[in-house]
Amino acid sequence: MFKGLFNVIVKEVKELVRDPTLLLGMIIVPLIIFPLMGFAVQTSMKAAEESMGNISIAVMDLDKGTVAENLTNFLTAWNVAIVKIDDLNFTEAVNYVQQSNLTGLIVIPLNFSNNITEGLKAELDVYTVFRGGGIAESTSSSMISTLLKSFEESLVVRKVGEKFPEGPENVLNPIDMSEKSIVKGKSVNIHPNVLFGLMMSQSMGMPIGIMMLLIFAMQLAATSVASEKEEKTLETLLTLPINRLTILAGKLTGSIIVAVVGAIAYIVGFTYYMGSFMGIIPAETGVDLGAIGLAPTLLSYLLLGASLFVSLISALALAISISVFAEDVKGAQALVGPLSMLLIFPMIFMMFSDIYSLPFPLMIVLLAIPFTHPMLASKVAFTGDYLTAVMGIVYVSIFTLAVLYIAARLFGTEKILTAKLKFKGLRRRKRKPTE
Amino acid sequence: MSLAIEATDVVKVFGSIHALDGLSFTVKHGEIFGLIGPNGAGKTTALRIVSTLLKPTSGSVKVLGRDVVDDASEIRGLISYLPEEAGAYKNLSGYEYLEFMAKFTIEDKEMIRETVEVAAKISGLEERLKDKVKTYSKGMKRRLLVARALMTKPKLALLDEPTSGLDVLHSVHVRGIIQQYVEKEGVTVLLSSHNMLEVEHLCGKVALINKGKIVAEGSPVELKKKVNASNLEEVFAKVVGFV
Repeated sequence: MFKGLFNVIVKEVKELVRDPTLLLGMIIVPLIIFPLMGFAVQTSMKAAEESMGNISIAVMDLDKGTVAENLTNFLTAWNVAIVKIDDLNFTEAVNYVQQSNLTGLIVIPLNFSNNITEGLKAELDVYTVFRGGGIAESTSSSMISTLLKSFEESLVVRKVGEKFPEGPENVLNPIDMSEKSIVKGKSVNIHPNVLFGLMMSQSMGMPIGIMMLLIFAMQLAATSVASEKEEKTLETLLTLPINRLTILAGKLTGSIIVAVVGAIAYIVGFTYYMGSFMGIIPAETGVDLGAIGLAPTLLSYLLLGASLFVSLISALALAISISVFAEDVKGAQALVGPLSMLLIFPMIFMMFSDIYSLPFPLMIVLLAIPFTHPMLASKVAFTGDYLTAVMGIVYVSIFTLAVLYIAARLFGTEKILTAKLKFKGLRRRKRKPTE
Repeated sequence: MSLAIEATDVVKVFGSIHALDGLSFTVKHGEIFGLIGPNGAGKTTALRIVSTLLKPTSGSVKVLGRDVVDDASEIRGLISYLPEEAGAYKNLSGYEYLEFMAKFTIEDKEMIRETVEVAAKISGLEERLKDKVKTYSKGMKRRLLVARALMTKPKLALLDEPTSGLDVLHSVHVRGIIQQYVEKEGVTVLLSSHNMLEVEHLCGKVALINKGKIVAEGSPVELKKKVNASNLEEVFAKVVGFV
């Protein structure tokens, strides 16, 4: 029945991969643009990091008291280069700071030390030079604020310590809170935020990846049918001694192969891009997901694979059935485009909420969309809800069979040659009489 | 002699348009049969029905003794169809295209290679066959497609305007090839053409088609004699009452 299938698949893959626009958009752009973006982020982050290492600030000490001296010593101890400009007036000081490469200016007014010692509120003026924004400038500025806050805290600890010699910590933080999580009915000694973070990266990444793969595949399948019409190769193809279902299967398989390559390129590029952030933000380590029952099991991988596979076939069959009505590639892409809403809609809900916490009608709508199910299956490792995943696979399989049947019917009859929709307003067009 | 094509009272309706309106004709084995007529007469629809692309609304068409509706897949293994506005896969090379097409009818690798070589000779494209189809001119593409249609030596070749877009020299070459395939390989040809000179030189039998019906049928000599005309163009004009 599928004689010649391999021949069709090879042709489909060659045609799709050699299409320069497709190659550019699907493979080269994600592989080059994402790493380039990552490189840009990494470089600017490094520059910011480096500039944090050499913060220099001007100090105008009008107070000359002990606390003021302690403050400058504290900053110096934290590697902040201090430039003393006590002899300048304020206008001269501002000009000086602007023209030099200093981060900012700290003005310690008269009576600063005295007020603090007497238990009164003391004022401190901190100026940051705004040179044009950027991460480096803002991090240097916030670094100064953080250091000043720490100094302030040290003053509080000292003051409280004078009244409560047994331990100022007990007064400042009277409750020692230890936050833990409960996972699948067991208490786990991990802060919930760590688990939420892990879950977030999983629930954001997987739906986006699945959505990209399905959208790519749909566009490819639509293009592959429509280009046969546009390039006038369809008529010849349909008179060849080959089963129409083989042509359909060849188009589906070719589109899947190229879409997988495209999705891999996208994931590689995107991972590199995300990795450029991870290198700077230290990742939470020492969490053994397996020990707390959150590591994906073989069964959860199999369920995700099966769910993804049936959804992919249904997406392709849907795209092919719809693109049969288009006269050219542009038309097919315009027809298939709105279908991506069926992917984006569940993706957004999956990213930000639990489907079962949504209002009942909305939940039903989402569950009726076949592409919700692979996204649900991707959460099985966390939820342990294998039944929903299996039910989803059964539902999507039935849906897929129905759509495949329609696609096969369209391919098997002369509809594939005669069905036409005109794009301006999507009105049905009068069929052009053939000679 | 048995018949290669037997079309009986074929009607094809698209919405409110009657593309074919009781078309009947027969083509003998080893014959070059020409369908001629003005634009919109129904030539392409007739060829599409014979090639199993379209189903007749009513009437019957038998190709090599098989019914176009019931035995469509069997017929596809015996025929080769060259549509008027056909194209080739633009991102494949000429060789890859011919090989892709040959693989559907031939399984043996050596035979496939030989068939592609035959097609290379018919097309006369030589080294250009290594280039992608998208770099070909209209004429080159047509030569590639004619070669594709004939290379597998089908029992019946359906050629819709085989020389459309070709210059004089290549048209002569293609006509020679068609004639050669009929004489040496026993291929039967049903072709449609606007070029009356081509039809007169090539076809043993001609059917004039107008408004979905055959209005006259016979050899070019018979037709000219019948209406006292000096060429087929004149025959056609007289038969449809244009002059």
